[in-house]
Amino acid sequence: MLIGIDVGGTTTDAVLIENGKVRSTAKVPTMPRNLLESLISALDAVSEGVSPGQLERVVFSTTVITNLIAEGKTDPVALLLVPGPGLNPSSYNFPDSFILKGAVDYRGREIQPLDEKEVRETAALIEEQGFSRAAVISKFGQRNPAHEKRVKEILEEAVPGLKIELGHRTAGRLNFPRRIATTMLATAAKDHYREFVEEIRKALSERKIEAPVYILKADGGTLPLEKSAEVPVETIFSGPAASTMGTLALTPEGESSVVLDIGGTTTDLALILSGEPLVASKGAKLDRFLTHVRAFAVRSIPVGGDSAVRVSGNGKGKGEKEISVGPDRKGPAFCLGGPEPTPTDALRVLGTSSIGDLTLAKKAIAGIAAELGKTETETAEMIVDKAAEMIATAVREMFLEWEQEPAYRVWEVLQEKKEDLRNVVGIGGGARGLTSKVAEKLDANPVIPEHAEVGNAIGAAVARPTLTLNLHVDTERKEYSVAEDGDVVKLHTTGIKNINKMRSEEAEALAAELLRKRAEHFGIFEYAGEAETTRSEVFNMIRGWATVGRLFDVSMQIPAGLIPEWKREEQA
Amino acid sequence: MKLGLGKIRDALKGSPEQEKEEEEKQKPGQKPGQKPEMGKEEEIGNRDADQEEINAEERGEEERGQEGQGEGISMEKPESHIRTARRFQPKEGKTGLIFFPAFDWAISPTHPEREERLLYTRDQIFEEGLMDLPQIAEYKPRLAEFKDIARVHFCVPDIEAQATVPHLISAGSSLVLADALMKGEVKNAFSLTRPPGHHAMRVAHGNRGFCNINNEAILVEYLRRKYGIRKIAIIDTDVHHGDGTQEIFYHDPDVLFISFHQDGRTIFPGTGFMNELGGPKALGRTINIPLPPATPDEGILHILDKLVLPILEDFKPELILNSAGQDNHYTDPLANMRFSAQGYALLNEKLAPDIAVLEGGYAIETALPYVNTGIILAMAGLDYSHVREPDYSPGMFVQAKRDRQVLDEIIRTQLENWKNRDFLVEEAVSDLGDFYRRKKNIFYDTDMIQESQEESVRMCPDCLGYMTIDSQAQHGHSGAKIFAVSVPIYACEKCQKEAIEEYRDRVQDIKYDYVYLQDKKADVYKSYNTRTRQETVL
Repeated sequence: MLIGIDVGGTTTDAVLIENGKVRSTAKVPTMPRNLLESLISALDAVSEGVSPGQLERVVFSTTVITNLIAEGKTDPVALLLVPGPGLNPSSYNFPDSFILKGAVDYRGREIQPLDEKEVRETAALIEEQGFSRAAVISKFGQRNPAHEKRVKEILEEAVPGLKIELGHRTAGRLNFPRRIATTMLATAAKDHYREFVEEIRKALSERKIEAPVYILKADGGTLPLEKSAEVPVETIFSGPAASTMGTLALTPEGESSVVLDIGGTTTDLALILSGEPLVASKGAKLDRFLTHVRAFAVRSIPVGGDSAVRVSGNGKGKGEKEISVGPDRKGPAFCLGGPEPTPTDALRVLGTSSIGDLTLAKKAIAGIAAELGKTETETAEMIVDKAAEMIATAVREMFLEWEQEPAYRVWEVLQEKKEDLRNVVGIGGGARGLTSKVAEKLDANPVIPEHAEVGNAIGAAVARPTLTLNLHVDTERKEYSVAEDGDVVKLHTTGIKNINKMRSEEAEALAAELLRKRAEHFGIFEYAGEAETTRSEVFNMIRGWATVGRLFDVSMQIPAGLIPEWKREEQA
Repeated sequence: MKLGLGKIRDALKGSPEQEKEEEEKQKPGQKPGQKPEMGKEEEIGNRDADQEEINAEERGEEERGQEGQGEGISMEKPESHIRTARRFQPKEGKTGLIFFPAFDWAISPTHPEREERLLYTRDQIFEEGLMDLPQIAEYKPRLAEFKDIARVHFCVPDIEAQATVPHLISAGSSLVLADALMKGEVKNAFSLTRPPGHHAMRVAHGNRGFCNINNEAILVEYLRRKYGIRKIAIIDTDVHHGDGTQEIFYHDPDVLFISFHQDGRTIFPGTGFMNELGGPKALGRTINIPLPPATPDEGILHILDKLVLPILEDFKPELILNSAGQDNHYTDPLANMRFSAQGYALLNEKLAPDIAVLEGGYAIETALPYVNTGIILAMAGLDYSHVREPDYSPGMFVQAKRDRQVLDEIIRTQLENWKNRDFLVEEAVSDLGDFYRRKKNIFYDTDMIQESQEESVRMCPDCLGYMTIDSQAQHGHSGAKIFAVSVPIYACEKCQKEAIEEYRDRVQDIKYDYVYLQDKKADVYKSYNTRTRQETVL
């Protein structure tokens, strides 16, 4: 049996799956101050009457990191930056930064040595200011981490007990400011996250649950709980990832869908294109920081079932008056005892939903109708139409953005980016009537799958692990590096015979081998076979009309997908 | 910034005749050799003050223009796109950027125009995180349409043969940015794309100097057709003479073409001397600045301050384009200049181009990552003081004293030519009959083609006159013979009619393989294959 639990902003949802089918579900209110307790009580509720030995897999999707950062509860981190030439480092907006001399270029060649005296002075300053954590990030550190490593050595010597993270070990993709942010957040959240993992461990062992436990990441993949402590920031935004994976699980294979998670205050949107959830081309934004964290392309708009509905007339006459929906929520819907009319009241009046008291709903809409000089039905239709239009517009913008993604290769420009949108899938159980209206506007089928109200928990339960691997090989310098785990390694350790004549196939084979090792490290070896090569490029380095070496860039991934235990066909 | 229509309207209805009248008004009493006002050191040196005055003056014009908005002007979306001279370039707003390194395209595996060319530039600008900056908006390239190409080129035998997909993308990128600029989405833009274009001439039999089609010229014709922009200045900052762009606009007084480059006696394409001043009706609108080899930042910035910027001030273009080669760099393997990344950034800050389009630059490791970072930051109004090459130290290159004198001599001569341009035109036109004719030999270094051309321009009293080109290419034993007719966008009806007749006559003439008509006035482009007797119309 599989368990999936999604800790959302308002409720924590849980699902128990047996033989590929939903056996039971549970919903408990989320206690923002005690996520662990919410999580555990949902677990207890859904697994009632099940013996721990029957559980095969437990997956959590949590907002713990997001909350920590939003509440400013993370630990202060001293940032030691080695920027070298380029953008003026004083334009960076990171707290507690110390800029150091030294530089490496795009090929990993040192162009300015570290000033060790300066590093020692900085170390003294860090100690004086009482930091217990530090992160060292150098520009192009992923192409040559020597400076980061040396700074770490000096810091360890000068400030005993200082916890130090290095940029090239955290996020090796190109983009220095994002690497700074990612490393900073990882360092700041690491200990808190580890505590959280310990507590979950403890709670589970008290319940004698020995099944493997996973955490859902922002890219819709799962990671064993213990290993997730190495990469805590990857668990941000797992909420939208959970509903997207849930939609994937509850719709037929290979179709294109918009995932619509209509909540009280906001609606979360995501896209599944020909059966593959759309991953954002750049990393996620966390608080005010752009990061390297791989995440689904999601968008949250301030329209929900409880958004306040108002009349915004321009005073030029009755016909000119308009209604606005949101962006704020004043409380629950009027029909549920709230203070102001909402889309939920409009849906109730139209009979597309049976939530709340009809008399109250009518009263709420009647007020608006009087101002507009229209009937209650007309007014309710206007409100639903307005909310649906806002959502549909956001969906259209998402498609446009995807179509307009920059292209760096001829084939990418030629690629026809058009999708036949098939489904508008309402997940999370909010405002069903809105889903069909949005679908109508987008000329697609409205789909409210069975168990939609716990679709996010289903998504968590049946998501498989993901993994990426970006290999960079420089045969002239006879070395390679992997963006995901840092170190620059000499090519002769790989067994590739003629390094100077290395071919694309060899680079791809090396990438595949490294991916297998990495999968093994993360305890997800059984999925290594699912890996696909997403990009393989070779650049001949020509100097004076002769080839002096080759650069290879190979990207591989185990994409987001469903575990084989889930029987999608029957569900759909 | 929303601007009034007055200025543009004047420009649109102003036929060359009216413009000439206007120019003539300025002339009385002035003779060649008279010391031009422009050349006065103090006035040029005091550029900032000048600029403010002009700002005030133009603002007045703007207001007047807005008052006159009611009058019917048939232009696409008149309010949204109106921009005039760079003095109106808003300080606020984003810099549009298309980075198209064409990682899957090369002329040949070891050619300088190969996949690797912008690889390290990619590494640098991505690692800097430039695409994330709020001051920068990244756009997706698109393919230019065949009609965009046909507004500029006579491609032999057809557009498909000369403009392959990468060329169409590179040209299309600057059009995407032109739209973004004219819609006011960005304050300026940089098309950081390959392949380049500035050696491609009007007739394209093949590839010259790594170029098949001319990206800037395609951009200019697009801006004119779609947005009614008339006066455009192209500053070619590539180390090689922008001979293609010069040739395309040689007879067009609305396009000011200024090219500074390493002296043509020492480098490809061997042209770009000071006596190449433009066709009879556009004399002085082509300004060549052949620089001595080893000219450093100091010399190029001196030329910019004392010659290029003062001429721009005077010309008052609606838009400035930078044909932005990066091979003046001190490490470029194909040239011998001493320009640095800091120099390039400062140049772009001072020139403030509305759109910059990448040309050459083949020091792919030692120059391009730094030069491109510098240009992007400078255009976005960001601090570029920390951008420098690993081996660069300020003051490492000093301007030779003798070369400084050479530069000052160039400045004197070209300011004189600029000042006297209207007189030069008058004199040239009065000496000519109904047609101006010249013969040219053009060598296509990449494709090893020899082309011989005879160009003929109707000396029409009412407009710029239509042009015909008789061209024979020689490539081994093969090579096409073509005849091409071009009608300027603001041509008079008589010229348009005569040009169409020329085309009709020539399609009967079997000595030509292909006959072309480029009617920019009607925006109709025809080509005729005399063997198959098939006409293609765009």
